[in-house]
Amino acid sequence: MIAGYLDGLGMVLQFGTLLAIAGGTLLGIIMGALPGLTSAMAVALLLPVTFGMPPVMGIGMMLGALCGAGASGSIPAILLNIPGTPSSVATTFDGFPMAQKGEAGRALGLSIVASFFGGVASMVILSLLAPPIADFALRFGAAEYFSLSVFGLVIIASVAGKSLLKGLIAGLLGFFVSTIGTDPITGVDRFTFGELSLLTGINLLPALIGLFAVSQVLKDAFEYDPNQRLKDSGHRIDVARPRFMETLRNWRALLAGILSGSVVGPVPGAGGSIASLVAYDQTRRFSKHPEKFGTGHAPGIVSVESANNALLGGALIPTLALGIPGEAATAVLLGGLMIQGVTPGPMLFDDQSGIVYGIFLAYLVANIFMLLIMCLGIKLFIRVLMVPRKQLLSAILVLCFIGVYGVDGDVFNLYLMLGFGILGYFLNRYDFGTAPVILGLILGPIAESNLRRGLQAFEGDWTPFFTRPISLTFLVIAVGLLALTLWQNYRTRRVPATSSEKGE
Amino acid sequence: MKKLLSTLTVAATMVLGSSAMAADYPTKSVDMIVPFSAGGGNDTFVRALQPLLEKQLGQDLVIRNIAGGGGAVGTSRVAASNADGYTMLAASNAMLTLEAMGNVAFTHDDFDFIAKVIEEPYVIAVGDNDKYTDLASLVEATKDGTRVRVGVSGVGSSAHIAAVAMQNRTGANFNIIPYPGGSETISAAMGNHVDAVVLGGSELRSALESGRLTGLAMSYAERSDSLPDVPTFQEAGYDLTLTVWRGIAAPKGIPEEVEQQWVEAIQQIVADGSYEETAANLGTQLSPLYGDELDTFIDNSADVMREAAGDLAK
Repeated sequence: MIAGYLDGLGMVLQFGTLLAIAGGTLLGIIMGALPGLTSAMAVALLLPVTFGMPPVMGIGMMLGALCGAGASGSIPAILLNIPGTPSSVATTFDGFPMAQKGEAGRALGLSIVASFFGGVASMVILSLLAPPIADFALRFGAAEYFSLSVFGLVIIASVAGKSLLKGLIAGLLGFFVSTIGTDPITGVDRFTFGELSLLTGINLLPALIGLFAVSQVLKDAFEYDPNQRLKDSGHRIDVARPRFMETLRNWRALLAGILSGSVVGPVPGAGGSIASLVAYDQTRRFSKHPEKFGTGHAPGIVSVESANNALLGGALIPTLALGIPGEAATAVLLGGLMIQGVTPGPMLFDDQSGIVYGIFLAYLVANIFMLLIMCLGIKLFIRVLMVPRKQLLSAILVLCFIGVYGVDGDVFNLYLMLGFGILGYFLNRYDFGTAPVILGLILGPIAESNLRRGLQAFEGDWTPFFTRPISLTFLVIAVGLLALTLWQNYRTRRVPATSSEKGE
Repeated sequence: MKKLLSTLTVAATMVLGSSAMAADYPTKSVDMIVPFSAGGGNDTFVRALQPLLEKQLGQDLVIRNIAGGGGAVGTSRVAASNADGYTMLAASNAMLTLEAMGNVAFTHDDFDFIAKVIEEPYVIAVGDNDKYTDLASLVEATKDGTRVRVGVSGVGSSAHIAAVAMQNRTGANFNIIPYPGGSETISAAMGNHVDAVVLGGSELRSALESGRLTGLAMSYAERSDSLPDVPTFQEAGYDLTLTVWRGIAAPKGIPEEVEQQWVEAIQQIVADGSYEETAANLGTQLSPLYGDELDTFIDNSADVMREAAGDLAK
């Protein structure tokens, strides 16, 4: 193993390889920061470039893009309340309020350092525990996926905002929207009205950009208060620098993020989008000050951002150990690996050639470059806040159009985005919130298709959902957390005076 | 007379003009439409071919992923675009499947097929190779009325239709369970959540090589070099031949010279062997086909798909 690492080190520490990783990371950071452009697109763009390169160099470049995009999604989330990717939705919960308080630099500094620690920790976990974690992920059948999604639904309580009931209504709205498209089991069209683009259902990205970005632009445009401007100019923007010590002081949130990213991240098809939400939920639930979350609380940012980059390492586990990519970006990466002649699978880890160790080290180097580039860029990013609002809003809208069109090159998605934008504006205005809708949209298809897939596989028997150990565990935790939420709600209602004083 | 003359002149200009245009084709970058998201089999196939084609054609090839509707959106878009050689389609079985399922307005007659480049077989593979040692034991296991759980990637996908065709030809009793994609299907088989999977050979390649899954049969007429240990359905005594193919198509009616240029470019790439290793690494093999032979092949494949899809609808 030591010899393997030395061989790998020899492959990584070459000028060309380092340059390739740095280039990939920079591209990833740029694409991740623009709403709508995803890490999958960054990797796909790099794919033809990597053909002529030796394996570790080409794969390192693509890993750099993954790593950069994973970290930079937080920039628009913090500065503009616009998540660039589904996994940075949770960054807006505390990142944007902190930026509004005039501490945008602190929020960015925390998120960069948390991303770095998350990435490095997941690389260590990947290199040591990939085969057993991959085997654990394989034990997820239809019953387990269904129970995982039920467990995920409890998160609605954490992101619902003021009213649990309104949060649930918004979540159900997301669930309903997720039923549009081809029925996953029988193939019947549902609510498509003959529109070809709807055959595969509502695409997540136009919905996300519409609900968060377009609705935010509408809000800023309609509810623009000229007097606000005077108050705004009084804000001093704080010093933007990486916050190592403060991140480490929030070590519990950091650990929650890393754990959630490494455990939920490897589950194919489900992990990517919800790992950061799970991390946020758990950190808030077991915090001594749950009421501070959502107001610009540091642990909220740290847990989400560490989970975001830890889940990349997590998603690489099944990709490398089994040849099963969890989502789009790792799927493109897998294509790149195979073109390079590197066949993923358990044998890759027994292989003595050092390539797999080279890949681990390249991922580590990518994280270091990410930290360096982001630290150099942080003072630049924050200048976005100094752009006058009129110009900023129109620029954001243009970027939204470009990003959403880039997903599939389908104009229909643009109308979809605008529709969701209007919906999101009203949902926010009447305190329903947009995060529960996205959660419903992500979890709905997982819950529905796996319930039906499970019933079909078990020939109509529903007891396996309760008798399979992993499935049962998720269901019990879900019921437990739900009971806890209801009890906390009941208690806060009994003593509204004291709790509101604490919240102020 | 004057009128006739001017008509002739116009006609002559048009003819000369178009041949001149076709002769310096391509004068600008060519759009290659991939009707799926980045990262799928079609996308990888054409992205690996991109630098080689650019070298042969002397122009940039811009790959555009127009996904949605299981390939329906992008393919319809190509069918409706100008047949000037500047919009091409990364074609595969999926378009024939869409046609057979009857959800789309286009048919394969709306396209000029330029070349078939690579192909791979459909493979039926199992996770538990003690219980199911060969195809016969899998078929035998369903004789007492129990159904074998078979995972496929996507409802109404070509793999789904292939699984139905296998069920019909072998007389086995399958409980066909659709998963969203290839990777979810493979992990279900590795975790023994389904007994068997039906997928394209390239998607299954790393799982078969690592020994996590065992291939019981594949749908080529003869054994292939990429999967030498997997027997064919023909060997087991079932008349079933199906292939997953990928190639290049254009909207109907592109100029003869343009088609010729593309055919020559691909022939050159095949001849100099620059794509062979990539194709093999992807778990596919080069199987070039052009012109009339290709048209016959496409017609036959469309018939097979339509027949199997009819059974699916029942």
